[in-house]
Amino acid sequence: MSTLATSEFVPLSEVERELRRQRQSLQGTEQVAAQLVRMSNLVIFCQSQESAQAVAALVPEVVTAHPARVLLLIGEPSGEGSEVTAQVCVRARPAGSHQLACAEQVLLRAAGAAVNRLPFAVRSLMIGDLPTNLWWASSQPPPLAGPLLYDLSEQAQQIMYDSMGWPEPARGVAATASWLEQVEGGDGCWRVASDLNWRRLKYWRRLLTQVLDPTSTPGAVESITEVQIEHGPHAVIQAWEIVSWLASRLDWSVETGRVEPGREIAWRFTAPHGDLRVRVQRLEQGPTEVRRVRIACRLDDKPGALSLVADDGRRLTGVLEGTDAAPRTVTVPPHTATELIARQLSDRQRDPVFRESMAVAQVLAQSLLD
Amino acid sequence: MAIPAQPVRKDNRLSQGTHKSLLPQPCVLVIFGGDGDLSWRKLLPAIYNLNVAGVLPSHFAVVCYGLPSSGEAPSNPDEYIRGRARDGITRFSRQPPTDDNWDDYARALFYVPGSFNDSRAYGQLKAKLEAVDQQFGVPHSRVYYLAVPPQFVPPCVSHLRDAGLVSAADEPTAFTRVIVEKPIGRDLESAREVIRAVDQAFAEGQTYRIDHYLGKETVQNLLVLRFANSIFEPLWNEKHIDHVQITVAEDEGITQYDPATGEPTGSRVGYYEGVGALRDMVQNHMLQLLCIVAMEPPSSLAPDIVRDAKSGVLRCLRPMTRADVKQVVVRGQYIEGEAQGRRVPSYRSEVRDFYSSRKQPVPAASVHSNTDTFVALRLFVDNWRWAGVPFYLRTGKRLPKRASEVAIQFKSVPQVLFNANPEVPLEPTVLSLRVQPEEGLSMRIASKLPGPKVRIYPVKMEFNYSSSFGDASPEAYERLLLDVMAGDATLFLRRDAVETAWRFVTPILECWEQERVLNLPEYQCGTWGPVEADRLIEADGRRWRSL
Repeated sequence: MSTLATSEFVPLSEVERELRRQRQSLQGTEQVAAQLVRMSNLVIFCQSQESAQAVAALVPEVVTAHPARVLLLIGEPSGEGSEVTAQVCVRARPAGSHQLACAEQVLLRAAGAAVNRLPFAVRSLMIGDLPTNLWWASSQPPPLAGPLLYDLSEQAQQIMYDSMGWPEPARGVAATASWLEQVEGGDGCWRVASDLNWRRLKYWRRLLTQVLDPTSTPGAVESITEVQIEHGPHAVIQAWEIVSWLASRLDWSVETGRVEPGREIAWRFTAPHGDLRVRVQRLEQGPTEVRRVRIACRLDDKPGALSLVADDGRRLTGVLEGTDAAPRTVTVPPHTATELIARQLSDRQRDPVFRESMAVAQVLAQSLLD
Repeated sequence: MAIPAQPVRKDNRLSQGTHKSLLPQPCVLVIFGGDGDLSWRKLLPAIYNLNVAGVLPSHFAVVCYGLPSSGEAPSNPDEYIRGRARDGITRFSRQPPTDDNWDDYARALFYVPGSFNDSRAYGQLKAKLEAVDQQFGVPHSRVYYLAVPPQFVPPCVSHLRDAGLVSAADEPTAFTRVIVEKPIGRDLESAREVIRAVDQAFAEGQTYRIDHYLGKETVQNLLVLRFANSIFEPLWNEKHIDHVQITVAEDEGITQYDPATGEPTGSRVGYYEGVGALRDMVQNHMLQLLCIVAMEPPSSLAPDIVRDAKSGVLRCLRPMTRADVKQVVVRGQYIEGEAQGRRVPSYRSEVRDFYSSRKQPVPAASVHSNTDTFVALRLFVDNWRWAGVPFYLRTGKRLPKRASEVAIQFKSVPQVLFNANPEVPLEPTVLSLRVQPEEGLSMRIASKLPGPKVRIYPVKMEFNYSSSFGDASPEAYERLLLDVMAGDATLFLRRDAVETAWRFVTPILECWEQERVLNLPEYQCGTWGPVEADRLIEADGRRWRSL
């Protein structure tokens, strides 16, 4: 983004006029055509000034990859206030030699009772005939947010959230799994809910799928006795989603669950081939992601193990322990947070595999809550 | 680890629910002509980009096969091809090589030097493939990419078969697929020979005849545009469309020059001379574009259903008589002119220079070469939908710019109301789909100029892939290689499509062959082709679009 035009506070009724004015001012300074580029309305909800600042820093890159009219909302229910205030800015980047591609952002702030007025402001500022994405940029799981989420999502085709770092994983997973049923199954509107954490697991799922392929490791899937997953701080739900995905695809039924807070979660499953154990272990430090998956199974009709490791954040490597076979690798493109978000915004397809995994994740959560 | 000899169940429950096209299967890609131009410029960089994107299978390796372009046997073939690949990636890849990505790519890249006709070398290839399978855990699955001139296709496939390197189409654990590059033959008869030769080793379901134009985003978007938007399809017929223009213009000639020194850096004379624009561009790329523009809605996106719909268009092409060829087909050859700000020589002198640089005599047929570097033609699709709608195709080298597009020109509105003044007719609505360089589409519509009077002015609505979607589009070869690994043949040519396209083109070639003209119509480098091409379309009261 080469150029940024910003404003002081403007009344809600003047937002569109101010956006036009800023766009025209860009055109004037650059002597080129400023073209509005929008793939969607992007409504972002934050619950504090701090989280909004962090998100606002990502927005310029997000809209480079996914041009959108951004409505950035800060709703602080515990604060004081009765008005919704607005600030606008227009960002432009070169698009070819004679054009600027412009993206608009409106920052809406509300505190106290005025938070409930945010959905009204959003409705008035959305552009018709464009898909609407709601990015729930809050550490609170969406189903625990109450009617505000419901109001904000009424026009949304996609609700995007991030389960990374949820404070109460089991409670959050259990509530979200039920909520997903309503979101995607509900009121006749086509809608999808997406967890960025699930998207982060794409390459793990790809490598697991390939190393456990029956043509490469025949009999491995049918002989798994133990799965051990290590993750960095705040990434327990990522590891959880791997477990629920494996369990849903491979027909494992959970028998018991046990949690040692901050250290380990363990489940016992019954699989078609027998019992197996899964342990999810937290590493004290390191990146916030799954670091290693070790699968004990039979390889070449002998006890063995597959060990999959996140090498350096750039590559996942799978090795057959105890053999000299070349490692199997999957490159993990260096996705920044903004790329991850932008890709998810453009991806509006429902993912039945995610839904099925979350249904199992709910059972896993229940085994711990019980 | 050892691969079991007994077939095992191929179902991978972890992959269920994921779209087939997103699942490239573990395999070894074997590139015939692995040290050649196509591999250097396109294929090895495409594989590098796929690896960086993390979409290649985890169990994957590349083995290049063929004689080294240097003519000398390298002491360390694997290191040799890695050096060559790195050079190609540095020059041509959309992403430059970085150390960590390069290491991961290079460790799975190998080279077996050998002649396409040397059966012993195929034994060495087989031994290498078995070692690579073992090392990378690949279940004997192979994709053979025949990046070789058409005359080498038959020996390559027969040696592969004889060496036991082709598995049956119904083999449950390991697949074998072959990618055949264009040109497939020089005419209908030779194309059939190539197809027959491939058939002897590979089933049709294992054969992927590639036309890289079909991997381009805009070309695929044409299907989406037509069949995912309800406004276009009702207008997509002879009632509303005046004509269609398909242009594939290249600013390059047959020889590439260093922009700084003006010295030649490469030449495609060896391939192009005697082949020409009709065979090189029209028979494949342009007729395929035409198919996508003109096809009926397929009932599903299953590969054979889509390919049936495309073949249906080719079968409706009105055959050309000799008189037609004279009247509606124009060929030309470039003569000295300007390109990219400097003088460039004629085609014939580039041919002479090519042989002279190799210290070889110019072959008799090339002394006064009549190879077409430009073709323009008008054709008709004789079916209910397109009855009477002319399709104008033009392609050429050394034209003013590199630009490929499909333009749909709608019929003019009646000459009443805003179009009542015959002196200043309204520009008709045009929908134009740019294939390259800036992929996207635009629509020209009439609009009222601001002011008290009704003054109408044409305006252009633009959609540009790079500015609208941010991400750079992957190269066509990247998409197509992944499709082959995933077993998705939708974007590849079936044998009947190849034969039908040749059946349409061959009478033109035969007519030219019989005419034996001394000189083709000429055009200066840096112009839009010979004047005859303008006359061809102007005779119908239309004009070529200015691009």
